Amino acid sequence: MALVATLVASHLTRRFDSRLAVEDVSFNLVPGEIFALLGPNGAGKTTTLRMLAGLIDPSSGDVRIDNEAMSRRAGPRLRGRIGFLTEAPGLWDRLTVGQNLLVYARLHGLPNPARTVDDVLELFDIRARRDERAAQLSKGLKQRVALARTLLHKPDIVLLDEPTSGLDPESARDVRELILRLRDERRAVLLSTHNLDEVQRIANRVAVLRTRLVALDTPSALRSRLFGARVLVTLAQPANGFASMLGPAFNDVRVTDRALSIGVDDVATRAPAIVRALVHGGADVVSVTAEEPPLEHVYLRLLEKEKA
Amino acid sequence: MTGRGMRRIGALLSKELEDLRGNPGLFLPAVMTGMISIVIPFVVAIAIPYFTGERLADSSDFRAAIEMYRDQLATSRLDPEGAIQAFIFQQFLILLVVTPVAGAMSVAAYAVIGEKQARTLEPLLATPLTTFELLAAKVLGALVPGIVLVTICFALYLGGIVLVAHAGVYRVLLFPRSLLTIFLLGPLASLAALQLAVCVSSRVNDARSAQQIGALIILPISALLVAQFTGTVQLTSALILVISAGLATLNAVLMAIGIRLFDRESILTRWT
Repeated sequence: MALVATLVASHLTRRFDSRLAVEDVSFNLVPGEIFALLGPNGAGKTTTLRMLAGLIDPSSGDVRIDNEAMSRRAGPRLRGRIGFLTEAPGLWDRLTVGQNLLVYARLHGLPNPARTVDDVLELFDIRARRDERAAQLSKGLKQRVALARTLLHKPDIVLLDEPTSGLDPESARDVRELILRLRDERRAVLLSTHNLDEVQRIANRVAVLRTRLVALDTPSALRSRLFGARVLVTLAQPANGFASMLGPAFNDVRVTDRALSIGVDDVATRAPAIVRALVHGGADVVSVTAEEPPLEHVYLRLLEKEKA
Repeated sequence: MTGRGMRRIGALLSKELEDLRGNPGLFLPAVMTGMISIVIPFVVAIAIPYFTGERLADSSDFRAAIEMYRDQLATSRLDPEGAIQAFIFQQFLILLVVTPVAGAMSVAAYAVIGEKQARTLEPLLATPLTTFELLAAKVLGALVPGIVLVTICFALYLGGIVLVAHAGVYRVLLFPRSLLTIFLLGPLASLAALQLAVCVSSRVNDARSAQQIGALIILPISALLVAQFTGTVQLTSALILVISAGLATLNAVLMAIGIRLFDRESILTRWT
């Protein structure tokens, strides 16, 4: 059954005077997915997020949440369904952690703000920091509090702008686990980031933005589209001489030391024939895997193509 | 305005006041203005005559004051020196109007533009808060402390007069004219200054410009003070009400302009 999109962005274009920041960007977010928005600095990611969150109006195009357009009138109500983690944590330094969260709980009109703040402090493991001023927190803790604030009202659409930027590996892992948990709770998560490793680990779909949408697909589909599917076979002995044993059906073979990288149309159906041919030719096969170029290669290739 | 809207304004207002509590230095210019405003009349009416040994009543410059207060029931029993003191204390009262303006301007400059500079505004704008609610909370957050301060200053002024001025002089501060000056003209002038600052804020990039232009409201107040002393204007209750009505109209117009200019977009994309 096809998933019904929670948020639909249609032909979003945004100009700032004569500068075109975002041009004709369309995509949708569905519940239970992590959608990654990639792009170089100045590509329009933050502008796109701001339009999705109803903070700025598109010059043309629209954003719809459950088919209701984000307008000046509907904006305040629809913003209540969105959790937006901005690039900077944006905590009030002179207020304590608890006070920061309490103001937001009340701004969202939550029925029992103090109780909700207690719950979220517990959930994010920051109860002990409740009475500390935000100014005293480390960057990682500030980010954690900002995330708690973003999710305080249990939004079904979560927009995260660089959520792990500047965090130590442990904190970044915690944030990633949290994002996965949000996905499991069937929320629609949009993640804007430069961290390709993070995207590779958790994103269901990837959009590459450079003012316009350069590509949008699942990470594996993007890889296949750009690099084709490949099977990587590692042998116990030097691989030289085994390429010819694969026969004419496999004419795209790269040999490096003890490994063969073979271009195929489909990994699952072609891999057994490759293994059979190599074993038949006397090769000692150590491992067979679907070769996946890092997402970084995919991303850079896409941007190069776009430039060209 | 819905109940939810009111609660959101309340939420943000409580944050503004809490924030101010954590940064009382922000209010120092207003406190200084208030203190200077209440000290100057004591210097003129009490200290100078005391140290020079010359009574105010000996000066022909204050004849009019003696006549003015003799006609009024509450002050008719004042001796000439007391009547002149009453005149001076009441004329200087207009200076206290500057106090909430100064207070509001120093707080507003931080509360609005400082929020953007601290990068705390964007998450705030991502909530259901409307532009009107945001503006109302910011304006109240700057206005309320100013009014509290001027009330304290007024109480100190009154207390000081009771303690050191001639008996009965304090009654001039309880005239409708005095109370209207402090509790109607003052807040309305502060509100106008604040809204002027808010309007300017959406077109300039730094707090100082907004503060300076908003502080222009002090000019007509100073002109009123001078006009009173030179006898050009008699600040009667009726005149205060007329000026207040003018300020209320100005405030309504400024609020409309402010909401139009002060939209989320300009806050996020123009201010740096």
